[in-house]
Amino acid sequence: MIRLKAVSWRRERREGAPVLSNLSFDVPQGGFRWLLGPSGAGKTSLLSLLHLENLPTDGTLCLLDKDVTAQTPRAVLVRLRQRIGMVHQDFRLMPDLSVADNVALPLRLQHRPEDEITDEVHAILKWVGLGECIGVRASRLSGGEQQRTAIARAIVHRPGLILADEPTNALEEPQAHKLLDLFGELSSMGTTVIVATHNEALVRRLPRPALVLERGRLVQDGA
Amino acid sequence: MALPFSGRKDGLSLSEALPDRSLFVLVAMMSFLAALTLTGATGARTLSTRWAGGAAQLLTIQVSEPDQPLIASGKTGKTTTQQTRADTVLADLATLPSGTQVHRLTQEELARLLTPWLGEAGKTALPLPAVIEVRLAEGQEAPADLEQTLSTHVPGTVVEHNAEWSTRLRALAESLLACAALALATVGGIATLITALSTRAGLSTRRDIIEILHGLGATDSYIAGRFAWRTGGLAFGGGLLGTVLAMAPLLLLFRMAAPFAASTLQASSTAMPDWRTLPDLLPGDMLAGLAALPFVAAFIGWATTQFMVRVWLRRMP
Repeated sequence: MIRLKAVSWRRERREGAPVLSNLSFDVPQGGFRWLLGPSGAGKTSLLSLLHLENLPTDGTLCLLDKDVTAQTPRAVLVRLRQRIGMVHQDFRLMPDLSVADNVALPLRLQHRPEDEITDEVHAILKWVGLGECIGVRASRLSGGEQQRTAIARAIVHRPGLILADEPTNALEEPQAHKLLDLFGELSSMGTTVIVATHNEALVRRLPRPALVLERGRLVQDGA
Repeated sequence: MALPFSGRKDGLSLSEALPDRSLFVLVAMMSFLAALTLTGATGARTLSTRWAGGAAQLLTIQVSEPDQPLIASGKTGKTTTQQTRADTVLADLATLPSGTQVHRLTQEELARLLTPWLGEAGKTALPLPAVIEVRLAEGQEAPADLEQTLSTHVPGTVVEHNAEWSTRLRALAESLLACAALALATVGGIATLITALSTRAGLSTRRDIIEILHGLGATDSYIAGRFAWRTGGLAFGGGLLGTVLAMAPLLLLFRMAAPFAASTLQASSTAMPDWRTLPDLLPGDMLAGLAALPFVAAFIGWATTQFMVRVWLRRMP
C-alpha cells in the first residue's frame, strides 16, 4: 500500500519551487496506476521518491505499510528497497556483467541459494525472450534487449511494488503488449504497480486509474 | 540447468577500481619501514630493560695483587695472614644478601676481555688484578658501606658502581623507544592515509555501479565489506612482502649487534654468531611483532576502508 499526504520534495541546496509539491494520494495493495503528464512534470522524481532514492522534504509517505521520513533508519530503507522493483528509463544495467548476472543481482543481494537463483533467472529470461542472450554482456545488447533485461531484473525477486519509468520506450509493440499483460497479471496477484508513460495507445490498451502530474502537482487522481 | 554466469559477483570489479599495484607496493614499503622500526624499538627496549635491571644490579670489584697474602693491621702491628687478598674480598662478599651471585673472572676470561686492547701479550706479560663480578638479586641494593668495608679489609680494592651510568643509559634507551613508537605511529598513519585515498579513488570510479547496487537493496555492510576485503587482502600481501624483505637487513644488523647484547662480562665475546644459530638468538617478542605486521597492515586497510565507504554511503538515502 502507498499513501502520500501533502508530500513535497525539493532538491538539496536549490532555491525556488519544489520539484514535487503537496502530493496526496493512495494506491492500495495490488493496485495499478498509470503515471501521466508532460515532460518535466515530475513523473521521474515521483518514482525516485517512491523508490526511496530521495526522501520527502515535507509531508508523510507510507510505503509498503511503513512510514518513511528523513529520520527512518537506513537499514529499514534498505529492507524496503529490496521489496521494490524499479525499471529506470536508462536501464541502469551493469555493463560488465552478463545478462544472467544482471538479472540475478537482486536475488544475490538477498542471499538466496544459488540453485534457486539459477532457476528463477532462467525462467524470467526465457519469459522476456532473452533465452539466447543469457551469457552476453549487457554492454553488447541492443536498446530493446537492455530494456527487457532491466524489466527481468525488476521483477525476478517478486517485489511488493513495481515502479516503471517509460518501460516500453525501446520495445517493439508485441513486446510492449506482453509486458503490459505481465504488469496487469502481477497487479491482480497483489503486486502494486505504477507505470509512468507518454504512450497513450498503451494506456488505452490497459484502462486503469491514472495519476496526472503537471509542474510537480497532482492535477488528477483517477482512483 | 546451469546459467552462464560471468563469475563476477556484482559488477563492482574491484580489481579495476582498486588496482593491485599501487596499494600493494605502498603498503609493502610502509611495512618494510615498520619492520625496521619495530626491530629498533625491540632492541631499545631490551637494552633499556637490561640496563635498568642488569647494570644497576652489577658491581665490578678489582683487587690488586690478588694472590698475595693479606697483611692485616692490628694493635700489635702488621701481621701476615694465610688468606690471599682476593679470598678475603670473596669472603666479605659472601655476607651479601642471599641470591647474590659472585663470580671471580678466570685468567682466560680476563685475557679475552683484554685482548682487544693489549693483544695476546695481555695473557702473560702484565700483573692482572682479580676482577670479581657481583650480580645482586632483583630489587636488592649493595650496602652503602661495602666499598669502605672492602677497602678497610683489603686496601687498594676498587668497587665500580654502574648505577649512575645505567640511569643515563636507560634514559637514552627510553628516548629511543619513544622515538621508535612515534615512528611506528607515523608509519601507521601514512598507511591509513594511503588506504583512505585509494578507497576514495575507488569509490569515485565506481559511483554509478554503487548507486545501482544501492537501488537494488545492497546494504552498507555489503558494499563496505566488498571494498574492505579487497583493501585488507592487498594490505596483507603488501605487509607480508615488506616484512619478508626487511628480514635480510634485520638479520645482518642483529648479527652485528649480538656481541653487545651479552648479559655478563664472562659471556661477552667479540665474535659474531654463526648464521645458522642466529634464528635461535632472535628475541621472541621481536619475532612475534614481525609476524603480526601483515595482520596489522590488513586490519588498518580493512578498518580504514570500512570507515571511508560507510561515511561515503551516508550521502545516499
